[in-house]
Amino acid sequence: MRMTEIFTAVFINIKENKFKVFLTSLGIIVGALTIVLVIGIGKGSQANVEEQFKRLNVGTLYIMPNFGGKGTETLSLEDIEAIKEEASSVSAVTIVVNGSSEVSYAKTSTSASIAGATKDFQNINNLSVAQGEFITDAHNEKRKKVAVIGAEIATVLFEEKEYSEIVGEDIVINGKRYEVIGVLERLGGNMPGFNPDEGIIVPYDVAEKYIVGKRARTSIMALAKDIDYVADAADEITQILAKLHKGKSDDFRVRDAGSSLVAAQDSAKVMTLLLMSIATIVLIVGGIGIMNVLFVSVKERTKEIGILKAIGARKKDILLQFLLESVVISTSGGLIGIFLSIMIIPLMKYTDISVLPSFLGYGMGLVFSIATGTFFGYYPAMKAANLKPIDALNYE
Amino acid sequence: MDQENIIYMKDVVKSYKMGNNELVVLKEVSLQVKRGEFVAVLGPSGSGKSTLMNIIGCIDVVNSGEYRLSGQNIDAKSEDELSAIRNREIGFVFQKFNLLPKYTAIHNVQMPLLLRGLDRKTAYEKAKYVLEKVGLGDRIDHKPLELSGGQQQRVSIARALVGDPNILLADEPTGALDSQTGKEIMDMFLQLNQQGNTIVIITHDEEIAQKAKRIIHVKDGNIYQ
Repeated sequence: MRMTEIFTAVFINIKENKFKVFLTSLGIIVGALTIVLVIGIGKGSQANVEEQFKRLNVGTLYIMPNFGGKGTETLSLEDIEAIKEEASSVSAVTIVVNGSSEVSYAKTSTSASIAGATKDFQNINNLSVAQGEFITDAHNEKRKKVAVIGAEIATVLFEEKEYSEIVGEDIVINGKRYEVIGVLERLGGNMPGFNPDEGIIVPYDVAEKYIVGKRARTSIMALAKDIDYVADAADEITQILAKLHKGKSDDFRVRDAGSSLVAAQDSAKVMTLLLMSIATIVLIVGGIGIMNVLFVSVKERTKEIGILKAIGARKKDILLQFLLESVVISTSGGLIGIFLSIMIIPLMKYTDISVLPSFLGYGMGLVFSIATGTFFGYYPAMKAANLKPIDALNYE
Repeated sequence: MDQENIIYMKDVVKSYKMGNNELVVLKEVSLQVKRGEFVAVLGPSGSGKSTLMNIIGCIDVVNSGEYRLSGQNIDAKSEDELSAIRNREIGFVFQKFNLLPKYTAIHNVQMPLLLRGLDRKTAYEKAKYVLEKVGLGDRIDHKPLELSGGQQQRVSIARALVGDPNILLADEPTGALDSQTGKEIMDMFLQLNQQGNTIVIITHDEEIAQKAKRIIHVKDGNIYQ
């Protein structure tokens, strides 16, 4: 029998059982949709990680208080002074305290992330100042109420105003006046924890005293002289802090940006793997659904198979007819799933999950749908093909 | 072997296992049918005539003995080879028509040719010609359930004829029809025989059998000619 005739037979059967076919393909629709979304989410979180670490020096080290420690008490300005003086493999170091606060200028107000830091925060994070200057040591020592603002904050608070006019203006953060001394270059990306575009940087002591409060968690960021010195820098910092903290050497931990990047990538991978296994389970369940329906269909059409065999159908004709029915159902299920995913992905931007659609995702969705249909359709099709004509013909 | 023999059966035995018992349905049956014959196989139900028909039609296989159809030894064939033989050698007409309900009349008639690998256009022309021949030229696009019993049996005769088989094998072709329609169908078989078709009809109806030119009686697995 020619393939065109086998396809004709397949479509006649599908047309006769539209609703059943739709129900059968539901499992595949959901499976394909899941695969596209899973791959999209995997790619999305991968891109997020890359975006986050794009501006980060790989030589960056984070020193964070351990959970269970008492916040700011564990890390202090003395710590960074000591690191600055004693650690020979460290080229820059800053203390950072993060928080957020209401910020206003004239009648405009918005909420901003606040980082209290020292001078080195700038080059550790690769920040460039578009206008004005960054926080200096003098600002820190004199506890000046000055602020360096991100590009996004500048747009929100000052709208169309030129950067040169913004510098020198006073803004109000948490009820106190701060002089804007600089506006940052727009970055576009963001860093873990603090997005400079939407953030404001003030001297560390000022932030601690007036904005975030004593109980805020403080961390230290340091930059190794060179990428090769990251391990040395970590060792030196650990020793210096342990000495300073007198035996309480476990109240902080040192991590470098490289391993943070690896950790973030790993967790993105784990998430993808987890979602992938869910998608696999959905497809297997969908496949079993197809298999069940096909078995029933073989039973229902036993007599028809008998007639076809009596008038000359070969095993292959019957096998292909049932197998292609399964493949057609699963392919259209896959295509519907992909179509749904194209509709759904734009809606995902309203959630926190970033989904990056890709042809790989669509391709995988379709390939896995077809593979499921072929795999689970084969056994029932084989069963139909192997029916003995005499038994099939006498089946009522 | 005589070339004119379409059906050549020698000492054919067919039995089925029923639990521990062996039920012998055909006991060393020998039978020959020559080209152009019109044979009725007559016997009561349970006599073994349906089994005989299944063996003649290559739907079932023998336990022992020899069966040749158009000179080919049927014993040694694979299932797919048997399918091809059924397709080319035999035109089946069943008691309950056995048409494919989802397909139109003409699609049903086209099937044997499509299964043979013919293209749709050629099959369509041929099927249309045969349907006109059985008097259903105006019903070709109807599905079986939209046709009367007599019309369905004509479609099934058209399906049997379309592939130019060596033998028409009819199993109680009038069994599901009223007597008037049955008579018309029998007349059609007679006419087809006059045109040169070899016909074997299985029936339990003496009156039907009388129309054939040769009657073979089947009783308890034996045949009497």
